[in-house]
Amino acid sequence: MITVKDLKRYYGTGDMAVKALKGVSFEIKKGEFVAIMGASGSGKTTLLRILALLDDATGGEYTIRGLDVSSLPEAERSYYRLTQVGYVFQDYALINEMSAAENVYILSMMEGKSKKESYRTALEALAKVGLEGKHDRIPDELSGGEKQRVAIARAIAKKPDIMFADEPCANLDTVNSKQVLDVFKELNEKYAQTIVMVTHEPWHTEYVDRVITFQDGRLLSDEKMTKAGSEHHEE
Amino acid sequence: MIDDIRVGALIAYSNVKRGNKKTLMFIVFVLSLIFMNLVFLPSMIGGVSGLMTGFMQDYPYGDVVIEPTGDNIYINNADNVLKKVRAVEGVRAATKRLDVGASIGHKQKVVGVTITGLLPTEEYDISRYPHVITEGDFLSDLSRNEIIIGAMIAGTGFGSEIYDNLGEVRPGSFVDVTYSNGVKRTYKVKGIMTGTFEVVDLNALVHYKEIEDVYGLEGKEATSVVVRVDKQGTEAQIQDKIREAGVNEEIFTWADKSESLLRQAMQSIGAIDTMSTIVSLIVGAALVLIIIYINVLNRKKEIGILKAVGITPNSIVLSYAFLSMFYVSMGILAGLVLYFTLMIYFQANPVSFYETMEIAPEIDPVLLIQSILTMLIISVIAGILPAWSVSRESILKAIWGR
Repeated sequence: MITVKDLKRYYGTGDMAVKALKGVSFEIKKGEFVAIMGASGSGKTTLLRILALLDDATGGEYTIRGLDVSSLPEAERSYYRLTQVGYVFQDYALINEMSAAENVYILSMMEGKSKKESYRTALEALAKVGLEGKHDRIPDELSGGEKQRVAIARAIAKKPDIMFADEPCANLDTVNSKQVLDVFKELNEKYAQTIVMVTHEPWHTEYVDRVITFQDGRLLSDEKMTKAGSEHHEE
Repeated sequence: MIDDIRVGALIAYSNVKRGNKKTLMFIVFVLSLIFMNLVFLPSMIGGVSGLMTGFMQDYPYGDVVIEPTGDNIYINNADNVLKKVRAVEGVRAATKRLDVGASIGHKQKVVGVTITGLLPTEEYDISRYPHVITEGDFLSDLSRNEIIIGAMIAGTGFGSEIYDNLGEVRPGSFVDVTYSNGVKRTYKVKGIMTGTFEVVDLNALVHYKEIEDVYGLEGKEATSVVVRVDKQGTEAQIQDKIREAGVNEEIFTWADKSESLLRQAMQSIGAIDTMSTIVSLIVGAALVLIIIYINVLNRKKEIGILKAVGITPNSIVLSYAFLSMFYVSMGILAGLVLYFTLMIYFQANPVSFYETMEIAPEIDPVLLIQSILTMLIISVIAGILPAWSVSRESILKAIWGR
């Protein structure tokens, strides 16, 4: 599904360059729920932004479903972000002047669907994340957990191949965090949604199939999670 | 493109619907003032222009005026001309006049004036002279040895302190007139006219027969034939018809005459108007641009988010164009309300100008349409430019500032 080969991301040039990613390689299969972990500055968010086509790599290759997305022109990247990739931001990134439904159905409208169809899709997506009856509320009228679930609904409404989530529970308490992770888990198990989630919290790994750990811009470990524990694969 | 428009409209709509209403009202208020600035001064200048040209119609020139050709002093067959003119369809009334130069003396004071010889009863259909007598009475057909004097030369009206005057001449006073051919006559002042216009108030009127006597004319000459038409706006057609009727003298519409007389004054006022319009437009464009730019900067993160989730830059730019057009449309509407309120007020309470003139602003629909279109065009540019610039920034820079 996702193939990353020797991916590098440097900020600046020469000796002053900050090397956020120093050449990482891995693969993620369809339907996997993967957690990317590591200390702050280890390169996990940088990786996620590159894979979601929000940023460019300095070197290396990455393909999604065999397509070398790194070389796509901006217009196609924009279309790819719209149709193939869902992204859940740490701080929800909702449009404050739009209702929950509008925040979700704007993407369907962008895809060319009618307003009626877009609205129906949005209601379905909101229902999937447990927000029935709250479609008319604006972000300020929702709790942190609800906002994040709207953000997830926005990401899943277009039924993307892959969903990226950048510390989706960073601003949430444990109860709300569990609600969000339950939604992810359900999407993964029920709809075979591929999910790549950056997180700091060790307890989040209970929900995932695999944990990739970064350290100083390099891949430190890649563990498959089982109910009994984890299978450890050192890089 | 249709999807871009739909999404742009949705973004703009939600922005207006749920955005800060106080900010919206402030923006609309500022834009309404910009619009007012564009249309108010030209309306006042239009009022000045209308007043001046109105004077020209009401006193010296009527709607159409016929004057001698070339170096001739008189229209020699004025009665024949009048007959032809009166037969033209669309002509309401016509009369002949004799304008001559003279000096008027009273006690020790002497003032140079133009004296117009006219046929008093005919003037009721032609000019406002009979209606601007503020003291005494207008001339009658039997008026001989009687004169009407303008307020400024009589020394009773505004402007007397600027121009030489006879020092408080009143009806019943006697004045000595020396015509340009040296003939002297003494007249009793029958009335004082106050037209609040120099061409009237620095003039004097006597009966047409008086000028004929003084200059030894034979009853057929005139320095002008003044024509009024049935319907305003048909002056040029009547001018052609009079020519077709066989009148070979010079024929002018009031606009032709006013233009030459007022050209300089109106050109100067027009230059001020043009400069004011350009400055207003620049200030207006800059303000609209600043308002939208600040709005865009405040929503830079939002623009980044929209891009990150796959909304096209075109949709984002269009949304700001719509938003900007909405702000400006509301500003124009508020400006129009303000404008018409002021117009109604100033038309009921004209601005005093030159103490004697009352200027009521003129509503010019063409000017209004031009100003509305100009504001809308500016709004689109002002909306598109900053949004286009921000939408081209990288997503990371727009959202996280790097």
